[in-house]
Amino acid sequence: MQTQQSTVSTTKGIDVGKIEKELAAMWKPADETRDSQADSGVTRACTMNLLVYSSVVEDRAGIDEMLDTVCEQHPGRMLVLRTDREASEPKLDAYVSTRCRVFGANAKQVCGEQVTIEAAGPIIETVSSAIAPLLVPDVPVFLWWKDIPHYEDKLFNHMTEMSDRIVIDSSCFDHPHEDMQRLAEVIRERGQLMSASDLNWGRLTAWRTLMASFWDVPDYRQHLEKIDSVTVEYDPPDVAPDQIAPKALLAVGWLASRLGWSVEGKGEGEEDGTIFKLKTNGRVINVLMRATRREGNIDGMLVSLTLSARDSGAEFRVAFSKDRKKLETEASIGGAHSVGRVLSYEQKTEGQRLSRELSLLQRDVIYEEALLSAVQLIAAL
Amino acid sequence: MQEAAVIENPLRAGIRLERTAEPCTVIIFGASGDLTKRKLVPALYRLMQERLLPAEFAIIGLARTEMNSDEFRKAMREAIEEFSETKRVDEDVWNSFAQGLYYLTADINNPSDYDKLSDLLNQVDRERGTQGNHLFYLSVAPKFYGEAVKQLGEHNLAKPKENTWVRVIVEKPFGTDLDSARALNNELHQYLDESQIYRIDHYLGKETVQNLLVFRFANGIFEPLWNRQYIDHVQLTNAEMVGVEGRGGYYETAGVVRDMIQNHVFQVLSLVAMEPPVSLESEPVRDEKIKAMCAAREFTAERVRAECVRGQYGPGSIAGKPVPGYRQETDVAPDSATETFAALKMYFDNWRWAGVPFYLRSGKRLPKRVTEIAIQFKEAPLPLFGEAMQQMTPNQLIIRIQPDEGITLRFAAKVPGQVTNIRDVNMDFRYGASFGIQLAEAYERLLLDCILGDSTLYARKDMTERGWELVMPILNEWAATKDKVDFPNYEAGTWGPKASHDLIERDGRRWRRP
Ligand SMILES: NC(=O)c1ccc[n+]([C@@H]2O[C@H](COP(=O)([O-])OP(=O)(O)OC[C@H]3O[C@@H](n4cnc5c(N)ncnc54)[C@H](OP(=O)(O)O)[C@@H]3O)[C@@H](O)[C@H]2O)c1
Repeated sequence: MQTQQSTVSTTKGIDVGKIEKELAAMWKPADETRDSQADSGVTRACTMNLLVYSSVVEDRAGIDEMLDTVCEQHPGRMLVLRTDREASEPKLDAYVSTRCRVFGANAKQVCGEQVTIEAAGPIIETVSSAIAPLLVPDVPVFLWWKDIPHYEDKLFNHMTEMSDRIVIDSSCFDHPHEDMQRLAEVIRERGQLMSASDLNWGRLTAWRTLMASFWDVPDYRQHLEKIDSVTVEYDPPDVAPDQIAPKALLAVGWLASRLGWSVEGKGEGEEDGTIFKLKTNGRVINVLMRATRREGNIDGMLVSLTLSARDSGAEFRVAFSKDRKKLETEASIGGAHSVGRVLSYEQKTEGQRLSRELSLLQRDVIYEEALLSAVQLIAAL
Repeated sequence: MQEAAVIENPLRAGIRLERTAEPCTVIIFGASGDLTKRKLVPALYRLMQERLLPAEFAIIGLARTEMNSDEFRKAMREAIEEFSETKRVDEDVWNSFAQGLYYLTADINNPSDYDKLSDLLNQVDRERGTQGNHLFYLSVAPKFYGEAVKQLGEHNLAKPKENTWVRVIVEKPFGTDLDSARALNNELHQYLDESQIYRIDHYLGKETVQNLLVFRFANGIFEPLWNRQYIDHVQLTNAEMVGVEGRGGYYETAGVVRDMIQNHVFQVLSLVAMEPPVSLESEPVRDEKIKAMCAAREFTAERVRAECVRGQYGPGSIAGKPVPGYRQETDVAPDSATETFAALKMYFDNWRWAGVPFYLRSGKRLPKRVTEIAIQFKEAPLPLFGEAMQQMTPNQLIIRIQPDEGITLRFAAKVPGQVTNIRDVNMDFRYGASFGIQLAEAYERLLLDCILGDSTLYARKDMTERGWELVMPILNEWAATKDKVDFPNYEAGTWGPKASHDLIERDGRRWRRP
């Protein structure tokens, strides 16, 4: 990945015209190569706008690395806003740069462009008015909010309004339970107006696929209606070790919303962990959520997910291998083990996860419903 | 109904979970062969890793070579390490996959071996929970297709039992002429329903070929222009840089028309020429494809002489390296009359295409490996810009299938300045650039589709026969006049014989340089 940078600096507001000019100038050498060698040179590609909000405390190199990954799959215009809310001195700077990668047999360069805006002090509130005219028309706008969402904040609201989809990461929530409740409220209130992606939900896709695939097997289907116990093991979140990890809540929320289980309240039990009582058509489902001892530096991860039906002695389990590098699945009916399997589980980088979210445009209704159910669990605590 | 009843899985809902296959066993005939280790098993392994196959899955390899299941597993592990992208397999992950691998030493021609196969299938269904769904992959020489299916039929392995399915994938080539293709279809149909037969055409597994459908029918702006009113002509180029790569013996009996044109090139062509299907399900799409091919004008001996060109490469050089001519390749006759290049002019006699020529060319040892379709639009009705317009080609839309899949639109623009100079500019869309994604291997897609029961990307009986029907007059005429050819007539590393250029230039047009 190569980048080329130039600076447009100003302290009194942002000169949008100047930024556009700088961007155009940056492409000029590229356009010239293109003309002289009809089939090589640079391809300027734009599949989306990506707005990135982060605070200055975020490590800049980390964000750059992520954007490199994103740009490989989704070249486009990146508008990166780095804010320092604490500063008393107002400051507003903008830089433009390109991000290129070499592609294909004849070493084509495919490039996207980036505008970085650094803002400090009270002036931050007004920045969105400089961002709006910089959006490339017609292609979708994604907002990656790399911070706890500030729902009451003017800037947050303006930026979500101009976006087709907002990407957050619930594993970074400071107060997991309250923050999830608040997110659910906002999604409910805004309805059609805001579609959200949660990187943490993306991390569950592999688990959900494997759990779902048990029920593709006709022989197992009958047991789905008999499930009466769920056990979830998770690594406690670093920030709040006494709270249940958002991912574990989302996993149960997903099962509950898909299978029509409603949350009745907290259940009783001697086991270490939290027990919830869920219900459907008169059947009670006990859900045990248990924090495991932390291994390595994997924060808030799911460790195992087991569904069982006492009546038929059926158990369906998806779990991490000991080294946390593989996922194992196993189904057993009446004590007889059927086929299990071990699949590699690649720890995706944050950039790869973000990239994946950027290929989705529709509202993720399944996520929203899982979140609402998860919030009901939290309310029962 | 031979499909197992599809049950709704409430946990599958949503935009993120991909469709996963039902439990099944894939039985590979020819499991000691090249295709199995290069493509089939690596593709199945990858599908498993991508979580697109269920745990209740097994592979049975079958060939005459003496091997036990453990030896087969070892060979397949080596194959995956050699031919798959990852190159390395994790011990536990491999062991879990390998548990589902079995091998049976058997001869396709020996009926009693099918009893052994039947027993093994029962055992595997029990052990692996594969639910009696069976996919037979015939990765053997074509002469075995008929016999294998006959034996499966006679051993009760071809008809699905209740709530299960049986499917058979047939590799290429499918027949060597119209009669043999018809005979083969008849043989297959004695024991199988058409819906059970999946004739592979790996070109259809390519992402861009599938994208042709999306491109044409999901974009409102192209379809209204997609006809004789706006299109001057269409060019389809299918060029390979390679020669016969040690397969001279096979190629001597084939030639480019049999090997490439009657199947791959016609499949792609039909997607360009077809009418919009009523839905994107497999039957409506294949109905429209065959309808288009039925409108293709038949070749007569006269048309073959006037509108078909054959060629054979002589010594030359490819990418700066000298290469021998076709007649110097191993297992090729020193006076061989087999064509390694062909160019045809085709017409579709229907309302959409009446009078629009389709120029096709396909060959080996051409300067560049490329498959592309170029749609050339008519010139602007009035040359408003006089001389400035003379150096320009009319608008072209180029759909590249390989390599660097993508779409280019060529149009005119003014060169900045006081005088009106007009230049062609390209507007480029590259899949790799826009979606930067590793496109899945054709075999992965095709295998998964077959397991899912989707035959859209497979060739239907009528299409295989129509392909042969169209090329038979060419093959016959060329066979009858094979003493008269002046082969070799093009140098390796050039764009085919002069006659190919004459064919199109006579009409006042030119081949596009891909
Ligand atoms: N290789 C490719 O890339 C490619 C591409 C397109 C199409 N194809 C087609 O795919 C098919 C297989 O190609 P390939 O390259 O894998 O061929 P190959 O390497 O020659 O393999 C042929 C296989 O058939 C088996 N076989 C031969 N006679 C048999 C018999 N009487 N009973 C049971 N098994 C028998 C052989 O095993 P034993 O000798 O152990 O019995 C071997 O495993 C062919 O139809 C070919 O046209 C291949």
